[in-house]
Amino acid sequence: MLLPILVRESLCCSKNSVLLISSNIQTCIRGLQGKGARGLHSYAQWFLCRRVPSRLNTQIRGAKSRKSQTKQEDEWRKKNKTVLTYITAAGVGMIGMSYAAVPLYRLYCQASGLGGTAVAGHDAEQVETMTPVMDRIIKITFNADTHASMQWNFRPQQSEIYVVPGETALAFYRAKNPTDKPVIGISTYNVVPFEAGQYFNKIQCFCFEEQRLNPKEEVDMPVFFYIDPEFDEDPRMARVDTITLSYTFFEAKEGQKLPLPGYSPISLHS
Amino acid sequence: MSTAMNFSSKSFRPRAPDKGSFPLDHFGECKAFKEKFMKCLKDNSYDNSMCRLQSKDYLECRMDNQLMAKEPLEKLGFKDLMDKPSQENKEAKP
Repeated sequence: MLLPILVRESLCCSKNSVLLISSNIQTCIRGLQGKGARGLHSYAQWFLCRRVPSRLNTQIRGAKSRKSQTKQEDEWRKKNKTVLTYITAAGVGMIGMSYAAVPLYRLYCQASGLGGTAVAGHDAEQVETMTPVMDRIIKITFNADTHASMQWNFRPQQSEIYVVPGETALAFYRAKNPTDKPVIGISTYNVVPFEAGQYFNKIQCFCFEEQRLNPKEEVDMPVFFYIDPEFDEDPRMARVDTITLSYTFFEAKEGQKLPLPGYSPISLHS
Repeated sequence: MSTAMNFSSKSFRPRAPDKGSFPLDHFGECKAFKEKFMKCLKDNSYDNSMCRLQSKDYLECRMDNQLMAKEPLEKLGFKDLMDKPSQENKEAKP
């Protein structure tokens, strides 16, 4: 009678079954020994008792699997925490870098002169100390434009001029107001080729400030400039022989002010 | 100004002049000097190196007539021309 029970136990195939079988056998033997006279009743009791170990069995199994589950969960939680901290650190780092990029880029542009921004070292003392590079002659051509609604007659007084880097040069434009009303003009300039623009330094000119011409008035507008001697040493400028300076006049309304180009605050009236 | 929108090409950035803007010569006070300079340029096939004396004279005229801030001429790049007038004077004297 014990055999089918034992077989069933072995079929369950768990490590604890060996212990359970031995404990069952012990209880069975005790039951038989203690209450041998009862016979069937004892067997019934024994069957009832048998249910408890099975519940214990599942309880023990559940406890072990729950333990392993929580261990895994703990591991996952730890991993998640580390990953999350790394991600937040990277996010904060990115935001910090985007704020720091603005002044850093400005410094880089000033140092390298990219984009035609004011290169550090363009000061008045350079004009004093620079020596002309006599073997590199550059032709400067002049161009004058007006905005469509601007009625001035604006033209250069010379079509071209030959200069060398490091030598200051003077050039003239002429503007005439043919209308019967005073007209205020404001001009800007452009240098072609673009890369040569960073070497083209104007000491004084007539741009970026309001210039008022009375009716029927004609004036000469000078441009005093020089080309940086470092122009000769730049390999990108090796094939540049002609630089074109182009001025464009716009009509200005009363009291309008053009924003000064460039980052560094250059005072117009030194 | 430049309208190129591509990232790689460098766009031109105009810079304000070092010494600011010339006041307009409404009364033509320095027109004579300008004419001399232009004539010199035409005669020398627009070579600036030959006409530096005339440009110096023009700027001096501007400074005298309050049309330009007074600056020592060395600062305007005329350092090499400063010796010449004294030499010319020495030559003219004897």
